[in-house]
Parts: sequence; structure tokens; C-alpha cells
Amino acid sequence: MPAILEYHEGNTILHKANPLTKIFIAIAICAAVFLSSNIYLSIALILLSVAIGVATGLARLVRLLILGLAGLGIVMFVVQTIIIRDGQTIFLFMTDEGIRRGIKVVLRIVGFALPLIIMLSLTKITDLTNAAVQKLHIPYKFAFTITTAIKFIPIFAHEMKMITEAQTARGVEFDTPNPFRKLKLMLPLMAPLLISSVSKADDAALAAEQRGFYLRDDKSAFKQYPFKALDFALMGVSLLLPIIAFIL
Amino acid sequence: MTIFIKDLSFKYKDAEHFALKDINLDIAPGDFLGIIGPSGAGKTSLASSLSGAIPHHFRGEYRGQAQIGELDTYEASLTDISKVLGSVLQNIDAQIVAANVYDEMLYGLENFGVNHADIPRIIDETLSRVGILELKDREIMTLSGGQKQKVAIAAILALNPQVMVLDEPTAALDPASTENVYEILKTLNQDHNMTIVVIEQKVAHLAEFCKHIAVMSKGELAFYGSPKEVFSHSEELRAIGVDTPRVTRISNSLYEARLSEKNAVALTVSESLTEIDSLLKGASKDSKLSLGDEDLSSPHAHTPKPEEQVLNFEHVDYIYPTGLKALSDVSFDLYAGELLAIVGQNGAGKTTITKLTNGLIKPSAGSVSICGNNTQDARTSQIAQFVSTLFQNPDYQISKNTVLEEVAFSLELLGKSTEEAQSKAIEMINNFGLDKDAAPFTLSRGQRQLVALASTLVTEPRVLILDEPTNGLDYQECMRVMQIVKDAQEQGCAVLMVCHDMEVVSDFASRVIVMANGKMLANGSSEDIFMRDEVLDESYLKAPQVMQVSKALTHKGYKAYHGVSEVSDIVEITKQAVM
Repeated sequence: MPAILEYHEGNTILHKANPLTKIFIAIAICAAVFLSSNIYLSIALILLSVAIGVATGLARLVRLLILGLAGLGIVMFVVQTIIIRDGQTIFLFMTDEGIRRGIKVVLRIVGFALPLIIMLSLTKITDLTNAAVQKLHIPYKFAFTITTAIKFIPIFAHEMKMITEAQTARGVEFDTPNPFRKLKLMLPLMAPLLISSVSKADDAALAAEQRGFYLRDDKSAFKQYPFKALDFALMGVSLLLPIIAFIL
Repeated sequence: MTIFIKDLSFKYKDAEHFALKDINLDIAPGDFLGIIGPSGAGKTSLASSLSGAIPHHFRGEYRGQAQIGELDTYEASLTDISKVLGSVLQNIDAQIVAANVYDEMLYGLENFGVNHADIPRIIDETLSRVGILELKDREIMTLSGGQKQKVAIAAILALNPQVMVLDEPTAALDPASTENVYEILKTLNQDHNMTIVVIEQKVAHLAEFCKHIAVMSKGELAFYGSPKEVFSHSEELRAIGVDTPRVTRISNSLYEARLSEKNAVALTVSESLTEIDSLLKGASKDSKLSLGDEDLSSPHAHTPKPEEQVLNFEHVDYIYPTGLKALSDVSFDLYAGELLAIVGQNGAGKTTITKLTNGLIKPSAGSVSICGNNTQDARTSQIAQFVSTLFQNPDYQISKNTVLEEVAFSLELLGKSTEEAQSKAIEMINNFGLDKDAAPFTLSRGQRQLVALASTLVTEPRVLILDEPTNGLDYQECMRVMQIVKDAQEQGCAVLMVCHDMEVVSDFASRVIVMANGKMLANGSSEDIFMRDEVLDESYLKAPQVMQVSKALTHKGYKAYHGVSEVSDIVEITKQAVM
């Protein structure tokens, strides 16, 4: 199973682009999704994200994301159609306005999550930190905190997997086909996960300090992260997306 | 660079007792110091006070002085101390900052302002010194435990410290990787005169590699000296809860039996052989030694005749979703009342076997059946009626707020009423000597392991799976856990144990399966397996010390030692021959 937010090795144009360029592209796509009031354009933007994912070798991850987001999307869709009572009832309790807004919410969730996760999967977290410190002059401590939080997500995912395995082997019905029951079973396990995370974070802080964390500044990084022609081209093209979305 | 520790005491903030009490210890440049002691004895606290983590990271009441060369650790900053003293923490996953090996190496070098022009050369040199240059561009996620440990060591080594402090660097490693890490430390110590301080539970390695040993007990320094001096006190060490290498125990026993005038305190197998050999030379040749008619060779003879089959693997293959083959054509049976140990390197397929047994994964080909039920059609939570698993890390298992709730929960999951579950749980908890109202996460690692074990055994499983049950435990805890397992086994529970500690395997297993690269190499009694050099070589295993000694003596013609696996038997045979 491909892990979420872990770096995926590759040799495509996007792998080679500046880390900040990739974040820029993700934000541009998100902005376009946000500005777009046209359902077809939103679908087109999602298809663009999927295409980028497939082209950069993340097909498995994209499929997994779509399945996961579809589940969340269905729940959000139903909630929207229940809340929104404007317009004419056309199916059970659902109104036409409710359905329209429901679809919009679903498209936004998918349209936001996909580009961000795909771009983060194409970027090494250390590169992103270094580039942000070097080019954007973000204080290192600040950048480290954020990137460490991102780094811990796959570690938590792994821990959660180990915990659910251990509990399943004990007889907790994590293998139930009912997703609500599964969610209910998972909540009590958050406590042990949090406790182990706090002690991990503390170890990580100590280890970083013992390797000169406080000495680091914007000139420390060995690798340089210059913007090349490729980066400007990619940023230029992606900047068109929110503009088009705004006009349409 | 000499390290002085003078009258050092430390109490963690909010703690009741001092973690360190009046420690006095000097470490000379180029020393190789091993620190051992039961859990909670203050080993990690001592290491933290060397690295400056005490008092700079962990706050509390601090008395006395620790000095690293010119630096007083109380006054110098953590960063300044880490320029001369490198620490490899126990939790290396938390220590690693980068996604690949090269970036991990860069981190410290960049921070300490090493000239950028020198960095590529330093990285290559350091990786070569640790023997992992070929891993330079690898993703850390794809590395094995042993490789990761070497990366953690290399990342610190690159900063060129004069002292290196390592906290249980081999706790999660298989025997071959453990050996490897110690060889690296030895080279650094000998060829580069680097001072090495290592916290370790594996006494055989301490005895072989260290120049000095410090034994901690309840925050105090209980023993200090050369390995020979320290391990000659095996009785006192046992009372503290510290093991002694088996070969040293042989020496100590021979000395106590007045067979040798001076205690030779053998630390390695070869020293032990030399000692016993010289004692036997004085023995009369017509002794029973060469005949081997004494039947001391099967200490596990009490194993009941297997009758009831509880687990059956029939030509099992397992292929990961990624297409990698983890197991091929594995077939074996497990009977009630047996303790079957699965041994082999990391990645040999041992954990895969346990997961196929408790149903977390299903075979790709062949079949697994538990008490007559094929696991293919059963849900994991159904298989849990027959099988209980003690996972390597007890924290994955524990989910409740008190020990009682935790242990009772196992029974409730199997459909027992709360009342019945509670009364059975209380009985179990009392047997284990645990406090039923304690919060599991406030207990020590060893105690948490016992809580997890209690909640696996309380269901009276037909099959008990143990995944590295002694990992991270001190000697006393290890013996306690294994004794409980043995009691369960004698009451008819079938035990399937994955274990890296060949001494535990030799002491407790009634049968052993050797795995290598997903294939089963051998299946037999531990005495039989540990005599077969070709199997051991192919699986990168070593026989336990006592078996190495008895095997070598047998080869020399002293047939009476054939298959002997216990210290007391070696001593007894030698005694009869010499007296």
C-alpha cells in the first residue's frame, strides 16, 4: 500500500522542479478550484490533477486517494442535501439546490486534496524545508516545525496500522465491513497513539538539538535550490488556471 | 579527552526518587565502556548526563559534576557538548530527520558549518567506515533495522566526535547485524581511538568487546571494572538482575567446585575451551569422557509425546501485494503443549508466519488451519478465539486506562460477561503480581510487557504467538516472562515464538524451525539444529555459547559433551572426569 505523504522516487520534470514550484502549482490548482463556479471546469481540474499523478508514477496512490475521498465525499454530499432545503424536492428528501451544492462541496474536497497530496508526494520534505528557508527566508525553526509535522504523518499511519493489527488479532472487529462501526472502534485507540507521539516528538527534538539544530541558518544547506527556466514555465502555466477559473 | 563524573545525582522533575545517586566514574580516552543494569536502574539517565541532555533537555534536581574534557556539561550548551560527544538515541526512528541516507548524512554537517567543499568527501568516507557506502542514495524507509542503525551511527560519526554514546543500539537487531554493529564500534575504538560508551543488555557482546563494564542498580553504580572483574561476581549480578555470559558462568562454577585454583573468568567461547581443555588434560584417560554413554544430552526429554495438532501449515506461499515473495512452500505442524521457536535473520519470513497464523494475512497458496479451521474463510476476529498474540511492542496492544480493564477487555471481546471477565482478570493479574488499578502507560517497559502477556493469556488460548517476547527486557523480566510462558505451555497451550536470542531458544524451545529467505531450512530439536553448522551458516545464526563449547569439545573427542546445552551439565561432566 503506498503511504500517504511519503516521498515517491521518480525522474519526471516535476520531480526535478524546485520544491517551491511544486507547492506553487498545488496552490494554483486549489485556487482555481476555489474560484471556479463551473462544475465542468472543476471536474476538468480534478482530471488534470489525476493526469499529473498518473504521469509522475503515482497511479496507485491516486486510485487510493480517490477511493478514500469518495467515501468522505458521499457523506458530505448527504449532509449537504439534508441541510439545504431551498429549491424543489426531486428525490426523497433531496432538493435540486441541495444536490447542486452537494456536488460542489464534493468537487472542492477532491479538488483541494488531490493536488496538495500529489505535490507533497513528489517532494522530499527536507528539500522543501531547505528551499523555504533559502528562498522565502522563513525562519528555520518555523519551517522545521511544519515539515516535521508533515514527516510524522506517515509514521503515525504506520503506528495506527500496527495498533489496528494488534487489536484485530485480539478480536476487536476492525475487519468488520461496516465503516461506522470501524470508526467507533478506532476512537479509543487515539489515546495510546497520542501518548507515543508525544514521547517521539520529544526524542526527535533532543536528537535534532544534538545535531546542531540551533546553529542552522539560511546559509547552512549544502544543496542549492535555484529557480530555473523550467520552474518559471511551470509556474507561469499554472498561474493561468486560477485566471481562467475566475473569468469563466 | 577524559570524562569525569563526580558525585553526580539527578532527580527528574516530578519524580519521587533520584534516577542517579552519587555516581563517580572516570572514562579514559580510548575506553570502550559498557553500561548494563536492570530496567529503571538509571542507564539512560547516565548516558543523558554525559550528552548534556541532563540537565539541558530533561529538567530536574541536579547535584555534582560531569565533565567532558574541558567542558562542564552543566555550563556548556547541548550544542557545544555534541561537537565532541555524539549520541545515538535508543529510538532511532525519532533521530532520523531525512527521507534518504544522503540527506540524513548532510543534516549535522550542514548545521555545524562544515565547509561545503569538504562535505561530499566526508560523507563518502564516513559511509565507507561503517561499510554502507552502497546505501548512499537509498530511501531510509526501505532499509532494514540493521542498516538503519548503521545510518544513525554514520550520521553522528560524520560530525567527528571524540566520544560516542549509544543507547541499546542492537535491541531490535538479529544476531548477525548485532555482531556487525559491534565490529564497527570496535574498529572505531581501535583504529581511531574513539571513546565508546554503550548501554547494552546482551552480556555476551559486552564481555567480548568492552574494556570496562559499569553495572547500574537503583541509580547507583553497583560494579565497575574490567569484564573479567565484573562478571566473576555472577551471583551478586544475578541478585541485581543482570545476566552473566554463559561461558563465564561455566568458569565461575568450575572455580566454585574447586576444580580450578584460580578463577579463569572465561569471556568468550575460545577462552572457555582453553580452560576446560587444560582441566581435562589432567584427567585420567580411561574416564567415560570419550565414550559418551552418559545420557546427559537431552535435557528436554520431558516433552510430552505430541498428540493434539492445533496448527497446520500445508505448502504455504505468501506473496506481498507488491509482488515480493515472503514465504515459499512452508509446511509444519504445531501440537498442544509444544513450544516451537522460529529463528532466522530479519526478513527471513518469521513475522509473516505469525501473521498467517493469527489470520492478519491469508496464504497466497496452500492452506493454514487452526484447530481444524481453515483461516482462508475466517475473519481475524474469529480466529482470535483460538489464537492470542503478544506483539513485539506491547504499546500497540494496550488501549485501556487500567490494568484490570485491559486484561478483562480480552475476555469481553470473546463474548464473556463483564462480571466473569473481571473475576478471571483479577485472578490473572494477581498471578502476575501486577497492580490492577495502575494505568498501563505509567508502568515500565517490562511491566507493560507483563500486562500485554496477561491479557493474551487470560483467554486461555489454544495457540499463543510470541513475537520477540524478550526484546527490550532486562534479564529478570526476561526470565519472568519466559517462566509464565512455560507454565502455560505445560498446561497444554501450544506456543509459537519468534526469537533472536538463541540462549532463550535453547533454554525454552521444545522444537526449532530455521527460516532463511522465506524458506524453511530445518525443523528439529534445538540440540539437533545447533549442532548443524551448514544450517547455522546459511541462516547467519550462531549456536548459543554452551552449545558452541560442547560442540567443540565433542570434536576434540570428548564425546560425553555431545549435545549438552546447559551450564550445569558442562560443569557436572567436567567434574566427573577430573575428580
